[in-house]
Amino acid sequence: MNKKSLSKQIYDARWCYVFVLPCLILTGMFVIYPIGMSWYFSLLDWSGFTKEAKFIGLQNYYEAVNDEFFWDAFIRSFIFMFGTVPVKIVLGFIIAVFLNNQVLKLAPFFRTVIFMPVVTAIAIIGIVMTFVFSPFNGPANKFLMSTNLTSAPIDFLGNPDTVLPTVMGVYVWKWLGITMMYWLAALQTVPQDVYDAAKIDGAEGYRLWIHIILPIVLPFAIVIILVEAVGALNVFPLIETMTAGGPFFSSEVMEIYIFRTAFVTDSGTMPRLGYACAAGVFWGVAVLFITVLQGLWMRRTRRI
Amino acid sequence: MKKKKDLKISRRTVMKGALAAGAMMSAGSIPSKLFAGEFNIPDPLKPLPTTGGNMRWIDSGDMKGVFWKKLFPEYAASRGITIEYDGLPWKEINKIVPIAIRNGTVHDVFQLPIGMDPGVAVSEGWVQPWDDYIENLDEWLANFPAGVYLPGVNQFNGKTYGLCLTANKRTGTCLLYSEKYMSEAGYDPQAGRMTYSEIRDAAKKITKRGNGQYYGWIIGGNQVNRWEDVVHTFGQVAGAHGGRGGFTNRHINFQNGKFQIASDQYMEAVELLLQLKSDGSAFPGVMSMNAPQARALMPQGAAGMIFQGPWCIGVWGRDAPEWKYGIASEPVPDGKKAQPLYIAEGGSNTLWLSANSTMGPFAGDLIRFMGTEQGQIYWAQTVGAADPAVNPEAVAKAGLTGPSAQALAMFAENLLVGPNPIVRNKDVGVVAAKSRVPDPSLALVIQGLYTGQLKGVEAQLKDCNQRYEDALDQAVEEARADGANVTRDDWVFPNWDINSNYGASKYSEL
Repeated sequence: MNKKSLSKQIYDARWCYVFVLPCLILTGMFVIYPIGMSWYFSLLDWSGFTKEAKFIGLQNYYEAVNDEFFWDAFIRSFIFMFGTVPVKIVLGFIIAVFLNNQVLKLAPFFRTVIFMPVVTAIAIIGIVMTFVFSPFNGPANKFLMSTNLTSAPIDFLGNPDTVLPTVMGVYVWKWLGITMMYWLAALQTVPQDVYDAAKIDGAEGYRLWIHIILPIVLPFAIVIILVEAVGALNVFPLIETMTAGGPFFSSEVMEIYIFRTAFVTDSGTMPRLGYACAAGVFWGVAVLFITVLQGLWMRRTRRI
Repeated sequence: MKKKKDLKISRRTVMKGALAAGAMMSAGSIPSKLFAGEFNIPDPLKPLPTTGGNMRWIDSGDMKGVFWKKLFPEYAASRGITIEYDGLPWKEINKIVPIAIRNGTVHDVFQLPIGMDPGVAVSEGWVQPWDDYIENLDEWLANFPAGVYLPGVNQFNGKTYGLCLTANKRTGTCLLYSEKYMSEAGYDPQAGRMTYSEIRDAAKKITKRGNGQYYGWIIGGNQVNRWEDVVHTFGQVAGAHGGRGGFTNRHINFQNGKFQIASDQYMEAVELLLQLKSDGSAFPGVMSMNAPQARALMPQGAAGMIFQGPWCIGVWGRDAPEWKYGIASEPVPDGKKAQPLYIAEGGSNTLWLSANSTMGPFAGDLIRFMGTEQGQIYWAQTVGAADPAVNPEAVAKAGLTGPSAQALAMFAENLLVGPNPIVRNKDVGVVAAKSRVPDPSLALVIQGLYTGQLKGVEAQLKDCNQRYEDALDQAVEEARADGANVTRDDWVFPNWDINSNYGASKYSEL
């Protein structure tokens, strides 16, 4: 059989390329170009607004890795991820198992209730939650005090020890519905005859779930964890509206750090877009690294 | 609507004004606007384009927004244009304006973000001069008090780029208090300036009486600049003489040209804030609210005292007209006499015209009107002490009473014009453009001390002071490398008499 030349292959598939072209152009404009420019900007000493931009090589990267606030924010982002993703995965799975039961008549209602926060604007949730957790007349504190769980109001968002767990809690509540939906989709791929066969073989209760169902949905779990992990590293709007990274950096995750350095803040610091890009590139590479690791894990799990 | 010439007030308007003034006197409060229902907008001095258009305008809102929202519809209708107004908090302006400048979509008229050097805006070509859009500009500028329009501040290369309708003669950390709570605590701030001990004691007593329902003192603690504003102004009142404004003025003692962040006066001010917290007198949610949120809680009876600016007067007058409150000068450390506060020359709320704007004729026409005495009276009557009109004669004629008048009298008594390095040497503007406020800034350091995340007031302030010194040194070095003729000696004013205004004659002595 004659092997076609590359140009011939391309020519033969020309309509495919024509149809792909709009997507390629848009990806280039809105993904490739910004990424490329952020790499370039990261090598500049530039406020982002002036004409004057000085090429300084890797100096911004050097400064970032020597900045304790950078590493604090970096670590805080991962604390956020490790503190929220397992909770969402486990809770989402448990809820999905219950709501996947066809016998439960109110399942659609509960599904709707749990999913409702997902479709609510995150900025609105952030602002409303500042009132919910207010130590002065906030419903959370009113509840705690009326039930004698605490004798004095707690400044959930103003105390450096409680601010991050509080924001993490709100994040879990806000996005739990989507995790539940992922799990429901996964569980609905399990054929009914598997349940029936398992029951005939005497597998019931937790044994059914641990030994039969869980291995089947495990590949989905890897995808869900991957999506959730990346999502938990992108929490800018929630934290910006709830705490803006404060008090004194206690809830400053990487996105807030990048934002703070890229713009003029109310503490009077001047914008440094070049530096912010360096921090962003570093952060992007770190997230990519995690994604690749998870991808490898997924492939390995599939082989098993 | 019938148009009138500048400075002429119609009989009907006078009647309305007299009636409103009478009502004001009888009610003992300030009217929101003396001339209810209309502005006498004069005809333009020269024909305006007939093409119409939409003028976009952004500023930091508050009471300014209240005024513009009244005036803009009338002005727009009289000139056949539309006006889109955005009054936003500084935090938003700091983010939106730079992005809009970069994208070429900035509003026609805008305020520059805090800390951004106007010289950079001019040299970068973001703004255009007003000279072509304000008829008889020199004559118009002559109506303003000396020192409002200065080269290097709002005038560059012989042209006027920034226009100021408001004075900067005010402070943002006055003692505003609930008359009821303060009186129950046994204090009357009107009897004389309170001391730090008295503030603590009053706060404790209010908190005790409140029994968990209200507290002695409140601050918008997650808006970090509030911490710095309080410490800076209290420090000055206690005798840390220095500048106000941006990084190249603020916290600098112009007697020796050094930052005074680690001075005893600053430390005492920080200690006062920490003591209010340790006494249990601070409102329990201060770290999770911004300044407007804290301000809004005062009329709700949540706290007895707040250190904020005169802009609260208008907001409370509108939102809680029945609530009784008082305004007084900043407190002073025990056993010390209050010292003057210093403002830099120039106005405030400077308005810049976008280089891309085609609405310059309308913006210039409107601002020219607002710079006349009649426009300034209108402004003063609505905005009051929140952003005082720049023309003192117009303010006097506005007939303000109550807290607004009291605040203006207080500012007149407490504030002096201090030296301004950029007036002395315009190359200081190059330094300002090169400056980077160290991270963490003083505002954040104070916040960290308050939350307990940072320990040791003296050590932290000394570290912070050194960072500021190093940052200014570096900025001066970079400016000099770029050809600027500037040294740290430009921040030293040996002929500064701290008890008098520092004017043009003083600069010429240097």
